[in-house]
Amino acid sequence: MDRAAPLSGIHRRLRFAAAIGAVLVLLGTYIASTTNRADAAPGINAIRVAEFPADCTYSHRLPDDPIIFPGLPGASHMHSFFGSTVTNAHTTLPDLVNSPTTCNPRTDVSSYWVPTLYNNNVPVEPTIVTFYYLGEGVRADVVAATQPIPQGLRIVAGNARATGPNESIARWSCLHAGHVAPSKDFVTCPAGTMMESYLDFPQCWNGRDLDSPDHKSHMAYPVNQACPATHPVHVPKLRQVLRYPVNGNPAQFRLASGAGYTMHGDFFNAWPVAEMARRVQDCIRPVIKCGHDGRPI
Amino acid sequence: MRGHVAAPSTLLVAVLLVGGCGAGSPDPAGNPPPSAAAPTAVAPPSAVPAAGTAGPFSPTDIAWLQLTVAMAERLLPVLDLVPTRTTDPAWRRLAAEVGAAHRADLDRSRRLLADSGAPATNPHEGHDMPGMVTAEELTALGAATGKPFDRLVAQHLRAHLTQAVRIAGAERQNGVHPATTALAAAVVRAGTAELARLDRLDRAPKTVPAAPSPTGAGTGRR
Repeated sequence: MDRAAPLSGIHRRLRFAAAIGAVLVLLGTYIASTTNRADAAPGINAIRVAEFPADCTYSHRLPDDPIIFPGLPGASHMHSFFGSTVTNAHTTLPDLVNSPTTCNPRTDVSSYWVPTLYNNNVPVEPTIVTFYYLGEGVRADVVAATQPIPQGLRIVAGNARATGPNESIARWSCLHAGHVAPSKDFVTCPAGTMMESYLDFPQCWNGRDLDSPDHKSHMAYPVNQACPATHPVHVPKLRQVLRYPVNGNPAQFRLASGAGYTMHGDFFNAWPVAEMARRVQDCIRPVIKCGHDGRPI
Repeated sequence: MRGHVAAPSTLLVAVLLVGGCGAGSPDPAGNPPPSAAAPTAVAPPSAVPAAGTAGPFSPTDIAWLQLTVAMAERLLPVLDLVPTRTTDPAWRRLAAEVGAAHRADLDRSRRLLADSGAPATNPHEGHDMPGMVTAEELTALGAATGKPFDRLVAQHLRAHLTQAVRIAGAERQNGVHPATTALAAAVVRAGTAELARLDRLDRAPKTVPAAPSPTGAGTGRR
């Protein structure tokens, strides 16, 4: 009580101002937090998975590879192409940007390709083809800082030259038969199921090059849940999931590149810049599962 | 008409940006190189950079050189088997001459690849590529002798040369580096002549007394 008595008018005004300030700060924090929450979860049913998909059915086959063998038609083993319908050995970004596509959404005019699968030397194309763009495999703060994949970026994943499973990141499994253990080589899927291939692309970019002489070194996989200093830009992780209408003994299966563990994928990004940016903003950073339209499911 | 004026200038800017970045050399006009952007920023797009070299190699040049090296490395062991597996002087001479020519091409390709600054390997070489002899086929060759051996050699050599001529033709047309496209033109000429020679040898009556050539021998893998 004694201490209160000597308060001058100035002190009292200061204390009053401080109190008002504190209330404002609290109010501001409250508004900010609720606003953030509103941004992050526009619907109470939002699924908290950072994801947007593109389903791109089979388009065509060619022994071409515009990333590894640009300008050299016929130089490659046989590839099966998805997405843009025009891709060949000469394809560059402007060709893709104006091309028709097999993708849902139609706005994705990117090109994706893999070595063709053969069953008894007859080509088999996957009937369910999904490319997921994900914010996973890194810390939450890294996901929150995800950048759009730059238009024209080329990424390869997997090891076409693998001489054994230990040199491979391929993953083969069976759709609707989860009890069959996944393998880096082909698996024997029960009758009535489909053999499927999963492949994750590197998601850390060096921030500078859309391709590199070895077609790999401009990208990197995360280390300890973050992007390494050499590749500091975190972009959505592309996960390729292919379901093939085959099952049973895989002895007669081969890829154009060899055994199952040589599975690899090539991606040439041609998403419209604004569409990619919107999906990163609305789905990946706030960790929301989006549909083909890039809107929360 | 206004659009005609605007479009080329936009294109020019794009060409300058890409060209300056791809070549990795500062613009002679004194503009700052676009690659000076901070590494975390989204810098202007670049094609495959020929880092550390002044040579104007395009991605097509580099891909063709890598593939040519990989293909020659696969063919030479096949040709090296010929003197130990066949006594036919015509086949031995063909193998020796084609082998010498391909060793020279391999040497030139490796040197050009070194000049380009690109890695000597690529992610797709070294396996079941069109025109390439597989490890299993090489093993089968090692076990064969006489006429079956000659037939297999002819088949592999034809597949190799056909593919080599095809991709060298594409490089000659689509490549940009003068010495590399010149090498490609030489590969097309030499490969075409070697194919013709192979056809004559493969179909001519053999000097060694043997059964008539089976039809369809050496028709290649395509």
